[in-house]
Amino acid sequence: MTEANRQPFADPAQVAPPDPREAGTQLRAGLWHAINERYPGSMVTREAYVPLAPLTRPLSQARLVMISSCGVHRKSDRPLDVCHPFGDFGFRRVPSDAKPADLTIHQLKYPHDDADRDVNVVFPIERLQELVVEGTLGGLTPNFFSFIGYNMDPERFERTVAHDIAEAVAVEEKADVALLVPA
Amino acid sequence: MRGIPTVSVTVARDVTELLKLPRAVFVPWPMGHHFGVPFHRELQRRVLLEAFRTLETASESGTIRDLIIRWADVRREAKTLSAQGWKL
Repeated sequence: MTEANRQPFADPAQVAPPDPREAGTQLRAGLWHAINERYPGSMVTREAYVPLAPLTRPLSQARLVMISSCGVHRKSDRPLDVCHPFGDFGFRRVPSDAKPADLTIHQLKYPHDDADRDVNVVFPIERLQELVVEGTLGGLTPNFFSFIGYNMDPERFERTVAHDIAEAVAVEEKADVALLVPA
Repeated sequence: MRGIPTVSVTVARDVTELLKLPRAVFVPWPMGHHFGVPFHRELQRRVLLEAFRTLETASESGTIRDLIIRWADVRREAKTLSAQGWKL
């Protein structure tokens, strides 16, 4: 290399972005667009913010429900259909007093090898049980809710899974607060 | 139907922003690892407590609390736990 063609500074366009594992940024940047490109119309946007429902009582007196798309269910329950091209528009109730040994994960769309070893990695049921015992939470609803995140028809999903879980959470479970875990 | 206060724990900040959720905690970790790594009880608990704090303190919809603990550090802690005898 001669003095004339030496590049004194790196071309910014050629500089690799920082490793998100070290930088503390989202590991899979642009996930919404990546999924929507592969499955057009499967992702949702909203024009307006969902209204903020205020807490009506302190958490130490509140009953919490956990709702997740992680696909956790009792081993005794029929798994959700992870092979159907449009997804499974059903859900499972998971008793909030269940032990990890009673549960399994049936889901293809995220890596769950670590969660298979300790379900609390994606569905922290034991940590929530402990927070009730120590008094941070008032209690847990009798059931938590789980479904699979792969559903190719957002409108149908809202009419079925989301509507039915929301009704069960309010009417049957009488939850005061909801913890959402979109896996 | 009455509104129930919600908080979401997300690894995809962009998706959460576009969904315009009321309250969320973002962790920069892989999908399926919203509460960290296996058997790291303190970390799992910390994410939950951040979520609860967000439930209590958010004053407007669209609040996203960033819990920036680098994944590289979380993995290092997982290796330490493993060395201490946890089955990882």
